[in-house]
Amino acid sequence: MHRKILWALAITAVALLAGACTTPTPETIIEQVVVTEIVEVEGETTIVEVTAEPTGKCSPTDVAGLEEIKIGVTVPLSAPGSVTGGRAMQTAINIAVDEVNAGGGVLGLPVDVVFYDTSALPERGTAAMEYFATQECVVAVVGEYHSAAGVAMKEISNKYHIPTVFSETWNDTITGVGYPEVFRVAPTSSIVAEADANFIESLGAEFVVIMTESTDYGIPAAEATTEKLAERGIESETYQADLGTQDFASVIARIQEGPTPDVVLVLVTGETSYNFEQQAAEAGLMPTADTVCIANQVAANSNDYWTNVPDGNYCTFRQVGLVPSLANDVTKAFEAEYRKHFDTFPESYALEAYDSLRLMADAINRAGSVDADAIITALEATDIEGALGRLYFPYGSDNPVPDDMPDYMWHQWPDPAVLFLQYFEDGQSRDDAAVVYPETYWTHGGIVPFGATP
Amino acid sequence: MGRRPDFLQGLIMDCQIFDFSCEFLVRLILNGLLIGSIYALMALGLTLIFSILGIVSFAHGVMYMIGGYVVYFILLTYGNLNPLLAILAAGIVTFIIGSIFERLFLQPMAKGKIERPVEYAILVTFGLAFFLEYTVIGIIGPFPKKAARFFDLPELEVGIVETTSATLRLADIPFPASRLTAGLIALILIIITIAFIYKTWTGRGLQAVSQDRQAAAVAGINPLNMNTLAFGLGNLLAGMSGAVLVTVFSWVPWVGTAAASKSFVIIVLGGMGSLPGALVGGLIIGVVESLGTGLFPDPNRALAYKDAYGLIIFALVLLIRPTGLFGREL
Repeated sequence: MHRKILWALAITAVALLAGACTTPTPETIIEQVVVTEIVEVEGETTIVEVTAEPTGKCSPTDVAGLEEIKIGVTVPLSAPGSVTGGRAMQTAINIAVDEVNAGGGVLGLPVDVVFYDTSALPERGTAAMEYFATQECVVAVVGEYHSAAGVAMKEISNKYHIPTVFSETWNDTITGVGYPEVFRVAPTSSIVAEADANFIESLGAEFVVIMTESTDYGIPAAEATTEKLAERGIESETYQADLGTQDFASVIARIQEGPTPDVVLVLVTGETSYNFEQQAAEAGLMPTADTVCIANQVAANSNDYWTNVPDGNYCTFRQVGLVPSLANDVTKAFEAEYRKHFDTFPESYALEAYDSLRLMADAINRAGSVDADAIITALEATDIEGALGRLYFPYGSDNPVPDDMPDYMWHQWPDPAVLFLQYFEDGQSRDDAAVVYPETYWTHGGIVPFGATP
Repeated sequence: MGRRPDFLQGLIMDCQIFDFSCEFLVRLILNGLLIGSIYALMALGLTLIFSILGIVSFAHGVMYMIGGYVVYFILLTYGNLNPLLAILAAGIVTFIIGSIFERLFLQPMAKGKIERPVEYAILVTFGLAFFLEYTVIGIIGPFPKKAARFFDLPELEVGIVETTSATLRLADIPFPASRLTAGLIALILIIITIAFIYKTWTGRGLQAVSQDRQAAAVAGINPLNMNTLAFGLGNLLAGMSGAVLVTVFSWVPWVGTAAASKSFVIIVLGGMGSLPGALVGGLIIGVVESLGTGLFPDPNRALAYKDAYGLIIFALVLLIRPTGLFGREL
């Protein structure tokens, strides 16, 4: 009996620990060391306060003696992160590195990237940045898919003054706090929420159900979308799920118990979204003649999508960045390389990762130095053609964000194209999906009604 | 007689409890029972292992994962094969893995060669779990997979029952064919397992060993062989749980972690070493999670608290009955 109780306690502890692994984002505490110096100049005593550099940072400030330019890259390569997204980004970064090195590298030196798996967890994002700054001695950091990790990472980027370009993190605060080191090529949650709301409004929807994830991305994204929808007189109801949730049957039943939604918007990312979308399709929630499905953007990976959501025909999904018909020369060249790995047009997160590495390499080259301040100045002056389009940052230290613009426009690429595509045939490749919004980019005359053929 | 289907449909669809329709409540309960039966199947395996070997296998979730992948790849390669054979194959594979592991790593414990057997068992089964999980990641990769639905339902409409190939509607309550199939197969496997344990000589041998190893040995039952059999059977049940769910959920190498955590809760709730306890505990957890998610006042957070509903019941039961619901050995 004593042994059984011991086992029971051990199991309970393990179960609670497993549950505790999904606890909310821990607050990142940044210490700033302020050193007070007493300086005596010709009889006058001056007290100077200097914020000391955090101990342990080993990033080089001079290219002399370097054999390579080391850049840190964070991506999710394990649960609860989106492995689909992480692998795509990792491949895109590697393609960019090969391209940069084939062109002579950066400052005449080869680029070496160090990958770190953040698993969408803020503590791992923090650990990644600490590792990059104190052990790998990176010059800069690019990447990241999940805002949960990105929100934490930006603090460490600021702490160690490491130039960072976020590829796919959408949380407004990442650039909204205005850190000099932090840049972003992905859209913000507010930009995407605006696009979502515009698309939903164009469908004539009156009631929307939002399925979001309980993370630093999902909660603010749902709030922003709810607000934008309300501005347009569209009612909405939000349901939250933890990343990694498998069984959505009860919450789907709950949604169907209420009024039939005109649209179900899936803000849950990665593989978790597949579970929800397929179970919703099986239960007859969406897509149907009455309810439009807006799937998570990982639906763009058509191989994985059809394997996991076989009943997901007629779902729409968001695509950030260009589609094949709008590709420029840079996009086409990247696409050719990317297809050797995945046989599909690059997803938005792949395009963003590719461009992030290229623009960082370009900035270091133009800076002519690995000094952080020089790189940051060069980043602010960026104006290059990327796979996403023309890349530039209109607002920075020389041109602060005006009062009538949102704070997140600081170091934010302002032109992310947010399109909506739709599958209209079972097993269809994303390359053949219809562009259904905005109207400017229609390929098949707008949204394809459920069950119809365009 | 002809009015009965309409009457039943009306009974379900027109009644209301508080602000919820009976149809909604029935749907939640039936969904909970379906998924609970699979929880129960997995927990049966874990409690069987505990009852005979006296250890808790922390590799149980990995066996669940492997079972799913076996079915996925068999059906991918042999599309025309009867899915039941693929499920059986998943059970055989996990049985073999479990038996070999038990012989190599756990039998020294049973022979008294390990100084601290409890800690040893935890570490070695954890080690197996990590080894297998990362081996699978390395070989198969991390991208989600899902097997096609095992069987398409025939299209028909009889009274309150209406079916399409993918869904069965019971008085307009939808049940996906994949989930329904998984639940029914799990139920059949549970019945077979219980019949095996209580009605066969080998099953009685397992019971004897769980009650008194020395007495069983005196009676001619080899406890070491029973250990191997129990561990293999336990893993077989975990593997088959995964095998039936690979058509319902997206499958990734870490899919077993949540399932294993739930099994741990269930076997403690039901009573360590109790087969009926594992069965009832699994059904209770399934129904409680389903009802909790469906009825929690704040729809925003209802699903996010899903695991907590079962743990609350778990804590309450242990407060009243510290040994769990049934709390006796096999």
